[in-house]
Amino acid sequence: MRNNLVALLIFAALAASPLVIGSYWTGQLTAYLVYGLLAISLSLVWGYGGILCFGQAMFFGIGGYIMAVLTKGMILPDLTSSYIGLLAAMAGAALFALALGYFLFAGRGISGAYLAIITLAITLVLERLMNNWYALGGYNGLLNVPPIKLTFFGASFELWDRLPTFYAVLGVVTVVYFGTSLLLKSAYGLKLTASRTHPDRLSSLGYSVLSIRLSVFALSAAIAGLAGAIFVTLDGFASPTLIGFTLSTEVLIWVAIGGKEMLLAAFLGAILTRTAESWLSEIFGNYWILILGLTFMVSVVLLPKGLLATPLEWLTKGKGKRSG
Amino acid sequence: MNELFPIILDVSSYILILVLVALGLMIVFGMMGVINMAHGELFMIGAYVMVALQDVGLPFWAGILLAPVIVGFLGLLIEAALIRHIYLRPLDTILATWGLSIALKQLVVLTFGPESQSVTLPVDGSLEIGAFSYPLYRLILMASSVLLIGATFWLFTRTDFGLMARAVIARPATAATLGIDTRRMYRWSFVIGTALAGLAGALVAPIISVDPQMGLGYLVPGFLSILVGGAGPLAGVLVGGAVVGGVNNLLAVWISPVAAMITVYVIAILIIRLKPEGIMGGRRAK
Repeated sequence: MRNNLVALLIFAALAASPLVIGSYWTGQLTAYLVYGLLAISLSLVWGYGGILCFGQAMFFGIGGYIMAVLTKGMILPDLTSSYIGLLAAMAGAALFALALGYFLFAGRGISGAYLAIITLAITLVLERLMNNWYALGGYNGLLNVPPIKLTFFGASFELWDRLPTFYAVLGVVTVVYFGTSLLLKSAYGLKLTASRTHPDRLSSLGYSVLSIRLSVFALSAAIAGLAGAIFVTLDGFASPTLIGFTLSTEVLIWVAIGGKEMLLAAFLGAILTRTAESWLSEIFGNYWILILGLTFMVSVVLLPKGLLATPLEWLTKGKGKRSG
Repeated sequence: MNELFPIILDVSSYILILVLVALGLMIVFGMMGVINMAHGELFMIGAYVMVALQDVGLPFWAGILLAPVIVGFLGLLIEAALIRHIYLRPLDTILATWGLSIALKQLVVLTFGPESQSVTLPVDGSLEIGAFSYPLYRLILMASSVLLIGATFWLFTRTDFGLMARAVIARPATAATLGIDTRRMYRWSFVIGTALAGLAGALVAPIISVDPQMGLGYLVPGFLSILVGGAGPLAGVLVGGAVVGGVNNLLAVWISPVAAMITVYVIAILIIRLKPEGIMGGRRAK
């Protein structure tokens, strides 16, 4: 209960923030929320599912490209609904994850360090592929992706201005966050933890470890795909950097610094790191990346649970109790 | 024949450099189960040692001697300050060394700038036999690589140090009971691995453009070589390096670098997935 209270307070503070931070930062924060969504997806698959994915941005990028291609009407000129675009982005990313996950986890399967190297290699392949796929814009990407158009009961509204866009994105993030939290508290969450810590025991109890891994991989990919789809409508373009190596490792850093085993910490890790980056990179210039790399290294060694998760856990659970 | 011969030599020199990089990675991975994501940056720093010495005006061959010493010393520091604390958390070593690689890369950007640098060839001539001619330095590079790879194999298969190292790899607890200081073995294996990376970077510096991002281009193929060949026996690296490096360079010449990179990665991923113990067999990683 206290856990939800802290989360509610944080989301309420986010909702109130445009009153304080002005129009420019509201726009920035909207993008950070989308990164936060990506961080939630990685926390789900890595922290809870135990699958260290070095290429989480591939799902983000796939979602982004599907959204861009559909809403620009490149395939079906008459069907440019944002709703269909968002759904297709999530479904596309999830299907790709299912296929990839089946290839990686079925049978003897791959795990641990091998999985990290292979997902890293796949991301590099996809980035190179998108850079050279000229029908999808190649290196330059796809420009002029239309903003999300909300239609209900015949009325329609384009998410163009900063404030409505911010609240729409915040709404999506809130729903995803609390939905995922609920799911993790259910029996499914328990099975997920078991598939991470004691896969052999879980399978001897008659559960299929493979289907649990596949489902969490696909769910996480769908969330990442949703984030990517929203992201391309904010800036209006989709480029190979969305799918690539740099974003994949950045999200890994946010989640590791925040705390991978706690959705809220991972989410805040993304938002706070991005915020710190835009402030501190002005002050420190080129030294910022050096500081970020060293912070990441130190937090992995000294605080493997994450810089934010440790105080947050204290806030939400009270002293002496451990998270499950 | 005259067209094919330079291609074969180019491919072989790439494979040999790749094997040198992978060998350092493999020693660290096989011995300690540590995935060193900063290995590519140590390779890069080896090349930058050559750039720095060239700026100072020291001869090329001094750099070849200094690069492995400097990078090996850096390895010693990294082992003492970082790796030692996370031996027992193999997955965290990936992340921590990843942070280190970002920091090292940025440190080089701050010192030398982000643009690419070049190191002049120490020997300019080429070997000419009839109509066939090939740059002399590349031949020296290949010969040195072969010697180094041979020396590393000799160290790990024919010396007391190698015997102890292999004992630590196979049965760490038993080796420790028999009085082998495993921590010390870990430390010196790590230093040897990093020194090899530094030397490989120094050797290859004159024939490539040296820039802060160059590490990744060798790190990932290096890892793929290890996993394709098999993380058990040392010889796995030779096979893995030959498959990854050979296919990559041949396809780059025949089709295009992009198609080559994609094909090699896909082939490597398929081999690793279908035969996780690698082509050369050996034990499966934890």
